[in-house]
Amino acid sequence: MRRRILEKATVWFSWAAGLTLLASVAVLLCYLLAKGHEALSTGLIFGGTPPLRALLLQERVFDGLFPALAGTLLLIILSIAWAIPVGISTGIYLAEYADGRVKKALDAFFDVLAGIPSIVVGLFGFASAVFLHRHFSDRIGPCLLISSISLSFLVLPYLIRTTQAALEGIPGETRLTALALGATRVQNIFLVLIPRSLPGIMSGIVLAIGRCAEDTAVIMLTGAVASAGLPSSLLSQYEAVPFYIYYISSQYADPAELTSGYGASILLLMLCAVLFSAAYGIRKGLTHCTLYRA
Amino acid sequence: MKTVREIAAERTFLLSALASSSITVGILAFMVFMGLPLLHEGGFFAILGNAWDPYRGAYGIYPMIAGTAAVSLLGLAVAFPLSLGCSFLTAGIAPKPLRGVLRRFIELMTGIPTVIYGFVGIFLLVPIIREFFRDGSGMCVLTAALVLGVMISPTMTLFFRDAFDRIPRAYLNAADALGASRAQKLIHVMLPLAKKGMLNGVILALGRAVGDTLIALMLAGNSAQVPSSVMEPARTLTAHIALVIAADYESPEFRSIFACGVVLYLFTMALTFLVRYLAHGEDARI
Amino acid sequence: MNHSADDTIKIRVTGLDFSYRKRPVLKNVTADFAGNSITALTGPSGVGKSTFLMTLNRLWEDLPGASMRGKVEIRLQGRLRDIYDRSMELTELRKKVAMVFQTPNPLPMSIRKNMAFPLKLAGERDKSAVNARIEEALRMANLWDEVKDRLEEDARALSGGQQQRLCIARALITEPEVLLLDEPTSSLDRHSTAIIEELLTGLKERLTILVVSHYLEQVVRISDRVVEFAGETIVSL
Repeated sequence: MRRRILEKATVWFSWAAGLTLLASVAVLLCYLLAKGHEALSTGLIFGGTPPLRALLLQERVFDGLFPALAGTLLLIILSIAWAIPVGISTGIYLAEYADGRVKKALDAFFDVLAGIPSIVVGLFGFASAVFLHRHFSDRIGPCLLISSISLSFLVLPYLIRTTQAALEGIPGETRLTALALGATRVQNIFLVLIPRSLPGIMSGIVLAIGRCAEDTAVIMLTGAVASAGLPSSLLSQYEAVPFYIYYISSQYADPAELTSGYGASILLLMLCAVLFSAAYGIRKGLTHCTLYRA
Repeated sequence: MKTVREIAAERTFLLSALASSSITVGILAFMVFMGLPLLHEGGFFAILGNAWDPYRGAYGIYPMIAGTAAVSLLGLAVAFPLSLGCSFLTAGIAPKPLRGVLRRFIELMTGIPTVIYGFVGIFLLVPIIREFFRDGSGMCVLTAALVLGVMISPTMTLFFRDAFDRIPRAYLNAADALGASRAQKLIHVMLPLAKKGMLNGVILALGRAVGDTLIALMLAGNSAQVPSSVMEPARTLTAHIALVIAADYESPEFRSIFACGVVLYLFTMALTFLVRYLAHGEDARI
Repeated sequence: MNHSADDTIKIRVTGLDFSYRKRPVLKNVTADFAGNSITALTGPSGVGKSTFLMTLNRLWEDLPGASMRGKVEIRLQGRLRDIYDRSMELTELRKKVAMVFQTPNPLPMSIRKNMAFPLKLAGERDKSAVNARIEEALRMANLWDEVKDRLEEDARALSGGQQQRLCIARALITEPEVLLLDEPTSSLDRHSTAIIEELLTGLKERLTILVVSHYLEQVVRISDRVVEFAGETIVSL
């Protein structure tokens, strides 16, 4: 009889927990939509500026999200551009070359790197900028370049792990096919193994993009500011959507600004939802273990 | 006999691996280097144990350590039952067609940016807490922990699911063949077998909770005092870094954030190694 | 030296020891194989037949945890050469000592690209030469008539027997002198097996064939000589 009660309680408890979590997220989404739907228009992005002129960089946008969106986009492109070559090469090294002790040591390093809080990476980026400013050139300060490099550190483990897991998942026979035909090790990697693991690698890249789009802690320390317009060079400060949301939450001046904060949240949420469903869609077998190596 | 291209490619791979692993070491080394002057002045443990009172020349980070512990442990306490229940649902309690949808949805939830949790928290949850308890501003340990709990639940649920998924099929078949109900199978077969993997999930989730910046920064009130109840404001190590960053570079305040950085780094590293150690033991057993 | 006296020897293995993850697989194996013949390697599973094949094209070097001692010489372009000597280039060796696996393993690309793949590895760019060699190799493998109109289709759309013949053709395109086959028909039906057996018999004029096989009938039907493996070494020749 007591066993029955335990089972019943488990079922009830599970449903209660599941519904609580789903309800919290549903409330979050509905609240955002209710408050922000009226802000969703081209005005949210371009303000009073004609969209075409803004896109062609003929006119600066003052009261819209355009500079923040452009900043986020630039940030993503740069960070990914730094991280992809290093991350994928490292993944290849781990899967195809490293052995024994070396592999264990590298594994440990990347597990630690994956666990470092993003604010610590941001602090590292900020301190480097200060250091460079004082010892090399006073043109260097927190800027787009420093932010993108710091962010690339943050997403590096994603790329390394997805590449490594994808390569290691290839069955032994496929691995030997090209070698038996006279391929060198490098030819085998580039002509057979990489093409075979492209879906896995792609999902890692998409996850990394999502991470770059949503991160706030790193960029608030390394060069994101509330109003900078479009960045003119790698060494200038910039705006970004998540930082804008953070900024509005504490510094909004009037209800209109607050509404555009809700609008920005909806935009960012949609962007992340698209990226994450793409990442999970590309490779269904992508488990959390790939990323965290539990 | 290797061609030049072959050797060049191999060197590139090796170099990348060395570069990426040196980042791990480099971050810690730089952090320690920047915080060094502070250590000379008072000793490392003094900084960890002292109060924060810049006007009296006290730059200890003990209140922030306490704040981090309060917010993240309470957050974990919120997240654990939620994640346990959700992982049960997707592992067998919910009807089959629903499980896949649920899992998909939970995966998507891991992608919600933390700044959005913070944003909605400020304008939705903070007023509710303020009205309900009629005490203070509504920005307190409890508010931050509730939102943090919701934020880490999806990740924790997925970790739990991974632990369930690693149970060998044969055990589950055995339970099915003996006529166990879904709940019986969960309680008597799956839970005992997945215990270790679930512990890993909890540890990894703790790492995320400790490392999160935005939720605590936006919702916990940021007062640099040791909180004496969950209704009081607190400041976490991560929020402290974000708040003090604008200070003068030579000041002891500025130096103290590197002590925070080192503590956060070492703590998450310890968690990582704990997980590795536990996972290693599991491999050895099978 | 009486080496030169025996020009018919294609492969000479002397004092071969092989271990995998510290477990001995082959011990002190010594054998000669004559050119232009089919030798069948038989014996219970797990006695190192496949491993033995891999020592002849050094493919085992890509398996973690394997180690080997001993000497393997193969007559290439008329000269008996130690294939583990530093002067032996690995990719060259694997083109001359080709291998076909147990399960057909076409790469996930079109039939034509599969065939052209070894030539691409070798850096061959002349398109008409590539096409001519593809046709020649497919004809040798008795596959040309079946696939000539569908070269652009995915190779995995072929039947199992056709896939295996494609793999043989792909191995032949580099004009090897030795062909190693690891149970090439074990995943095929009776009809496809017969086609491949006939094919191998025909190829004997051009090259030396070593084939691992479990089926006694097959061994008797096609081979000139049978080598039996048992417990880490060769028992009967």
